Amino acid sequence: MHRSSIPSAGRATWFTLALLFLLPAMASAHTETGHIGGFVSGFKHPLTGLDHIVAMVAVGLWGAFLGGRAMWALPVVFPVVMAFGGAMGILGIPVPSVETGIALSGIVLGLMVACAARPPLWVAALLVGVFAIFHGHAHGTELPEAANAMTYAVGFVISTGLLHLAGISFGLLVKWPWGRIAVRAGGGVIALIGCGFLFHYL
Amino acid sequence: MGGGIWVVLLLLACQSQAHAHMIIEGAGEILSGAVHPLMTPSHLIILLGLCLLLGQRLPLDVKTPLWVLAPASAVGLLVTLSGYITVVPVPLLAGIALALGAIVAWGKPTPAWLCRLICAVAGVAIGLDSGVDSGTAWAIFKTLAGTWLSLNLVVAYLTVCVSHGGEKPWARTGIRVLGSWIFAISLLLLAFALRK
Repeated sequence: MHRSSIPSAGRATWFTLALLFLLPAMASAHTETGHIGGFVSGFKHPLTGLDHIVAMVAVGLWGAFLGGRAMWALPVVFPVVMAFGGAMGILGIPVPSVETGIALSGIVLGLMVACAARPPLWVAALLVGVFAIFHGHAHGTELPEAANAMTYAVGFVISTGLLHLAGISFGLLVKWPWGRIAVRAGGGVIALIGCGFLFHYL
Repeated sequence: MGGGIWVVLLLLACQSQAHAHMIIEGAGEILSGAVHPLMTPSHLIILLGLCLLLGQRLPLDVKTPLWVLAPASAVGLLVTLSGYITVVPVPLLAGIALALGAIVAWGKPTPAWLCRLICAVAGVAIGLDSGVDSGTAWAIFKTLAGTWLSLNLVVAYLTVCVSHGGEKPWARTGIRVLGSWIFAISLLLLAFALRK
């Protein structure tokens, strides 16, 4: 039987690290009265749209579903490429059909999980990377001028990483037969939500 | 590795207290200088990237990078005494963190010369960005000495901590994920700085 190589104490430590990473700036953001910015603003930004949430969860879900190197490769590729998209948005470099791309990301990534698709890792990474551009650009464009750049970026990236982690955690259920059904059903739900955004039902 | 992670957590948890380039009231000059790089997010992210980079390399070699980092940071700090440079542009600091994040996320063996070069650049940049605004010459010197001691000790200690997880596959993955986060944060910071 396959067993995770990650000791539970180690996992807990890394998870705690991720959580505590955000504590200081969270505190300072509360003191920034009158300013829209800082860590809380950045942390909340990826959580403000269901279309963003489902796509980022789908990345982790698909990574865990593919297993092996894909489990960490996809969540590494996404924030890196998303930051490129975010930089383009911040600098005002246009990207066409951003909202359509975001909706399509939910549909495609959700369908990949639902259909148990197992393309080569580079194809999966390319697909995730292309969609990450749209998400990053949307976040970068919507960024308020007054935001505290450093803490905003930290919050934004950590929030995205935790969404991937949520997807990976859910995706690890594939070890069990019932879990495999649940994960694929989750992919189907994500694809449906993506359709809802594409056709403006949501 | 567990102890090291708690130290990282503690350092990151201190960021909100940042009062860059000022002597903190109630703290001695050396202590005030010592906490400065730990409470300045742009410095801390570079230091964290440096520790991940050096700790990722096997077999562990702390001595060689420190032989570069220690004099480089000392030079940067001493130059601030002249008063000509006390602040480094944000794009430069973000660029250093960006490079560190990219190398750590890439995860391939890093040549020794590249590590030494990054240590030198990072040391000088952090040193130059840690200038003290006010105080007597002796107080400023003690503050800068505190900064120099702390940043070198932190890099040495955390590098050893990170290296303890270097042979565990899950820890190596975690290090690369952290590297990708540092890269993404730095890239966004760079874009912010260029927009302004």
